[in-house]
Amino acid sequence: MEYNQLLVIAISVIFINNFILSKFLGLCPFIGVSKSTRPALYMGLSVTFVMTASSIITWGIYSFLLKPFHIEYLRTLSFILVIASFVQLIEMFIQKFSPALYKIFGIYLALITTNCAVFGVAVLNSEMFLKVQDSFVKSFIFCLTQGFCAGVGFTIVLLFMSGIRERLEFCDIPRPMKDMPIAFIVASLMSMAFMGFSGFRF
Amino acid sequence: MKKLFKEFLKGIFRENPTFALALGLCPTLAVSTSIVNGFGMGVAATFVILGSNIIVSAIRNFIPSKIRIPCFIVIIATFVTIVELVMKAYFPLLSKALGIFVPLIVVNCIVMARAEAFASKHTVVKSIFDGLGMGAGFTLALVLISGIREAFGNGTLLGLVIVRNFEPALLFILAPGALLVIGILIGIVNLLSQRR
Amino acid sequence: MNNLTVSPAPHIKSGLTTQRIMWIVILALLPAGLAGVYIFGIRSLKVIFISIISCILSEAIFLKFRQRDTRIILDGSAILTGLILAYNLPPEVPFWIPVVGGAVSIIIGKQLFGGLGHNIFNPALVGRAFLQISWPVYMTTWKNPRWVLDAVSSATPLAKEKAVNFSYMDLFLGNHGGCIGEVCILMLLIGALILIFTNIISFHIPASFIGTVVVLTWIFGGDGFFKGDFVFHLLAGGLVLGAFFMATDYVTCPLTNKGKLIFGIGCGILTSLIRLKGSYPEGVSYAILFMNAMVPLIDRYTKTRIYGISKT
Repeated sequence: MEYNQLLVIAISVIFINNFILSKFLGLCPFIGVSKSTRPALYMGLSVTFVMTASSIITWGIYSFLLKPFHIEYLRTLSFILVIASFVQLIEMFIQKFSPALYKIFGIYLALITTNCAVFGVAVLNSEMFLKVQDSFVKSFIFCLTQGFCAGVGFTIVLLFMSGIRERLEFCDIPRPMKDMPIAFIVASLMSMAFMGFSGFRF
Repeated sequence: MKKLFKEFLKGIFRENPTFALALGLCPTLAVSTSIVNGFGMGVAATFVILGSNIIVSAIRNFIPSKIRIPCFIVIIATFVTIVELVMKAYFPLLSKALGIFVPLIVVNCIVMARAEAFASKHTVVKSIFDGLGMGAGFTLALVLISGIREAFGNGTLLGLVIVRNFEPALLFILAPGALLVIGILIGIVNLLSQRR
Repeated sequence: MNNLTVSPAPHIKSGLTTQRIMWIVILALLPAGLAGVYIFGIRSLKVIFISIISCILSEAIFLKFRQRDTRIILDGSAILTGLILAYNLPPEVPFWIPVVGGAVSIIIGKQLFGGLGHNIFNPALVGRAFLQISWPVYMTTWKNPRWVLDAVSSATPLAKEKAVNFSYMDLFLGNHGGCIGEVCILMLLIGALILIFTNIISFHIPASFIGTVVVLTWIFGGDGFFKGDFVFHLLAGGLVLGAFFMATDYVTCPLTNKGKLIFGIGCGILTSLIRLKGSYPEGVSYAILFMNAMVPLIDRYTKTRIYGISKT
């Protein structure tokens, strides 16, 4: 039924409206954690997980709490609180049950407690799918898809970027452009390349 | 008084949140397509920084340090909600243009950074000046970037045509242009500060 | 001792200096350019010259600004960039377009990264994408060959809205609207043969790139599977120019043969996707740019292991 729509959401959020390159969400980890590939991969995985999970949670809050009681104006407040405490909870949970995993992912989880990409996907979900009168199941699937794919798009771009920046280490870049400025230039060029995907029709 | 003024000035130049500290870049890039949008975003963010700085510094001695971050988040989110509602009511066009970036002020690192690094350690008066300075620095950076993008990408400044027969480069008001402009601007800032 | 010069990578130890490679590639590109000038008239020659001059000047100014040896511009790479950029422009663009394009290619695409050998993206394609996004109207206003009476703006064969039928022969010889250097497949192939026989490029990237496009457009290009007109997709647009001359750029393509195959297949998939599904009629340059961004990752996972060193 909505198979086609799901594909459109996925392609759109991974390539056309990529969170980093076109919506500018999550730039801090994009610039900060993209210096080498391994951390970038872990960061991407953490963000994907948290994005998917918080899409589900905020879907629940919005459709079962905010909407029935007509207190949609509390969206910002409730979303940020729930997401932040959820990430903390996950962090503590992992620390307790799998110290090995915590050693890898702990620091990244701490970094994304208030990541704008995570919060952004929740807000976008509510703007795009939750405000309209859809059945619970439909909006749930849409939110889940968008949350997961936004994370995938984030990871892909972060990985590309980390690969490029590893190579830039050996480049004779003009001194004032080193590090952050050149990272932005690379991001800009990547964003140009991603614009080739605009206007896809299915 | 002189000291307070210094708190104000440092936000504009030495610790400019955008160029020196690279904080809060997401909204800076996303909404800087025209000066009006950039300025609107700057004012909204300034209001939130100011509000949260005042409240945080006022109750800084009552917040247990272990749960201070959640407390800050609640305070900030409250002010963001106020801004959201006010903007929707009185500036519906601006609210539409800024879109999800109004609620996203809540995760703007500048606000949190000022609450954590400054307001929770200083008096209310000092925090007011700090908040105003940071807000002004942020607004200035936004106006600068959006001015460049509007001029090159649309051929206008504040909606007025500046040079006739200039063919605007669409790229500058699109996503790649934002990244390009910020990259080159930070490069120029580095160049100037390294020369000195 | 005069021939001991210190120049940036790529250092190739086979009698072929960077300089000589550049000039051979330029030579190999000339036939296609001559054909373009013959087809579209003398104006396209001006576009080519302006583009090259803009590239050389931008490089000279930037090197001067960085207080580097400006003689580096004589290595031919700026000329090559200007040539490839001009080949990707429609013949009727205003003259300031190649000026801006050349400056963007050299400064943003190459010099900000540290010059030849350091750039991540193909400079000419950076310039082309910049122009395409900034001034889409100029970049998609085409001109018929000069002997066609209705000279102004005709669509390229790839533009989906106006399905004009071209014979394969017209497409092969370049008797249709398009960018200056991409129309005459015959001349491009002559240049490609020069490059392959002088061992400047290996067949991996062009073969996998073109092969993937042929297979994918054959399967998905028509109504129903395996009914697409793959010969058309092979001959129309910038596929041949891109596969032989742009994707194979030493600096911006993978090092190993395995990596090159992956790179070519990726380019092919993206090109077909954009051609068949995207809103742009042509996807070759975007596809190559996208894959350029992936090259460091490809290299990382295809590089040969060093013996005797543990894999950490």
